[in-house]
Amino acid sequence: MTDQPLWITYIVGFIVLNLLLVGMAYMTWAERKVIALMQDRVGPNRTGPFGLLQPIADGVKLLGKEDLVPKFADKRVFIIAPLISFVTAPLAGLVIPFGDTVTIFGQEINLYVTDLNVGVLYMLAVGSVGVYGIILGGYSSANRYSLLGALRAAAQVISYEIVLGLSLVGVFILSSSLSLVTIVNEQRQPLDFSLGGLDFSIPNWYIFSQPIAFIIFLIAAVAETNRAPFDLPEAETELISGFHTEYSGFRFSFYFLAEYISMIVISLLAASLFLGGIDGPLADGFWWLLLKASIFLFFYIWLRATLPRFRYDQLMGIAWKVLLPLTLVNILLTGLIRLRGNDQISLQAFLITGGVILVVVLAVYLASTRKQEAYVG
Amino acid sequence: MNELTAEHFLLLSAALFIIGMMGVLVRRNVLVIFMSVELMINAVNVAFIGFAWEQDSMVGQTFALFVIAVAAAESILGLGIIMALSRRIDSVDTADVTTLRD
Amino acid sequence: MSAEVLVFDILAVLAVISGAGVVLARNPVHSAISLVVTFVNLAGIFVMLRAEFLGVVQIIVYTGAILVLVLFVIMLVDPDDLPDFHGGRPLQRAAAFVIGLMLLGEVAVAILTRTVVGQPGPWSEEFVLEQGGNVQVLGQFLYSGYVLPIQAIAVVLLVGTIGALVLARPDEPVGRPRPRHTGTISLGHPRGAEGEFHEPLPLGAGAGAARSERRGEMRGGIIVVTDAESYSDRPAWELEFSEPSADSNDTSYADDGFGVGKERNRS
Repeated sequence: MTDQPLWITYIVGFIVLNLLLVGMAYMTWAERKVIALMQDRVGPNRTGPFGLLQPIADGVKLLGKEDLVPKFADKRVFIIAPLISFVTAPLAGLVIPFGDTVTIFGQEINLYVTDLNVGVLYMLAVGSVGVYGIILGGYSSANRYSLLGALRAAAQVISYEIVLGLSLVGVFILSSSLSLVTIVNEQRQPLDFSLGGLDFSIPNWYIFSQPIAFIIFLIAAVAETNRAPFDLPEAETELISGFHTEYSGFRFSFYFLAEYISMIVISLLAASLFLGGIDGPLADGFWWLLLKASIFLFFYIWLRATLPRFRYDQLMGIAWKVLLPLTLVNILLTGLIRLRGNDQISLQAFLITGGVILVVVLAVYLASTRKQEAYVG
Repeated sequence: MNELTAEHFLLLSAALFIIGMMGVLVRRNVLVIFMSVELMINAVNVAFIGFAWEQDSMVGQTFALFVIAVAAAESILGLGIIMALSRRIDSVDTADVTTLRD
Repeated sequence: MSAEVLVFDILAVLAVISGAGVVLARNPVHSAISLVVTFVNLAGIFVMLRAEFLGVVQIIVYTGAILVLVLFVIMLVDPDDLPDFHGGRPLQRAAAFVIGLMLLGEVAVAILTRTVVGQPGPWSEEFVLEQGGNVQVLGQFLYSGYVLPIQAIAVVLLVGTIGALVLARPDEPVGRPRPRHTGTISLGHPRGAEGEFHEPLPLGAGAGAARSERRGEMRGGIIVVTDAESYSDRPAWELEFSEPSADSNDTSYADDGFGVGKERNRS
């Protein structure tokens, strides 16, 4: 890590923050446009060319609304709760590497705000604190239904947080590090293999080595940010709009924007962990990262436009009964393969253990599906 | 007090521990008592990690990690008991837990 | 005054103030919020003490899981701010403050006059950085000498999870008043408002009947029926076992209208 003066870190942090906020604003525009095009309509096209000034119009509208605080609400907590969500959302983006080290005017600058030794774990920690925005928002609204909606949303978020974290353990095993810069650098190593006499060399992106974990991560990421099809706690038709019922005007938009910022941050994380982040030929790393994150953001919007919503018990059942066991099996198998790769166990031990794990998984799966046939309702 | 020494951390740990202890002794709401116990546990963690830093040792951090894990298990069970208790006596005031009193 | 001491002072003062806030807040939700602030400050102190993994684990486990659980329990058990402050009598509070200060003084003296014994360990800052950082060193240390405690912790957490499942399961609805399958209130009958009661009438097996029998008092003066025709002179608890009486007012007992015998546990 290069030694740069503190003020440069502050400037880089400032730029990253602005990037996230502008990205969030235009994410709202992109979502409306893309969903519209998928539904064979046009989307916002009045405010500015192609509706590009729509986020500004939305902001002005929301700022102009009346600032209501319910009479029996706990006033201080009511004000703080959306701020908790909104502040913790971009904090997670501080450890993502946006590019290699550049040299400007002879000073080497790292294109990330900080490279923590525990980078990814830090992002999970910050996401954990974001749950309080939901719970406290529901509590302080002095509205029984908001409280119920908040508790349900919080239960969903913490369940999928566990799945999110565990799905990444495979990546940590393969890269021996929690630091995002190290993980991205590991993915730049070429992976050589030959197929049918031809030699291929692909980068060691973890999407190739951890496909199951990738899919689980995507599902958990969608559920973690309360996005469709897991958006039951905040859907307009459910529970009188859930924990942000009593919020109006800009306070409501804090929650709404916090969700978009966490979408962007998780897309950047997915791009860095599974698709190699800033890895790419020819062009500068930053644009590759942006391209890969945009793929995930498009995927988010696509899911919202296409899929119907899950019911709450289905949602929780997926997390605890399907995804969590799969992540644990993934960890076991990845650890086993890594031990074999380092030649720490013999081929026999590897095959026997791997065989036992797969047989147990198959047995459990068959037993669980059989029980479901007898279950009515 | 110009350099950071272990005394700083030990004083912090002592202050937090005493605050937590007073919370356990004075408050009557079972949930606040529980939170004060967590405060005491964290004070002890600060002391462990402070010593580990001073002595360049990893044992303190290991112990603190185990303390966090055990505190998690204890909190699960403690809160389960609190919920069962509140269902039984319909209150969270320790002054209402009088069943064994003659 | 080095920068480290300044940062430590800020974090420590905030931690102590919010720790006091945990103990002094009226509302348990405010206590929980203060505890979150304390934990975040302590996590910052851990990171300053070169225990980054523990700082992050503190936030994930303590604030992200344990305190969320505490907040859940507060919401499910005690959602309203109770009018009386569960803080103990004022004399208790004043005595606690004074005794706490005295205790802090004693411990401070003990701390400031301590002598350090033992050898420092090998994990200096440079050595740790060489090995790859705090996480790598902790992993090396844990899994080379402390594998058994880790397995024990795993079992402890498993036992805790199972215990929590058992504890949190709702009891069978006994002894807890449940609203009955009720309909209209019939006060016009002589047994209603004006009539005398010849025997204690439980309101139904679910709704407080067990309590009233234990306490020996007569409860209830309101007979509740769903259909004015189906009321009879018999006590409610006898209805389900009796054959249809000769009383022509009685409609079929298959649906006795009280909901007592059949849907006893329906809330």
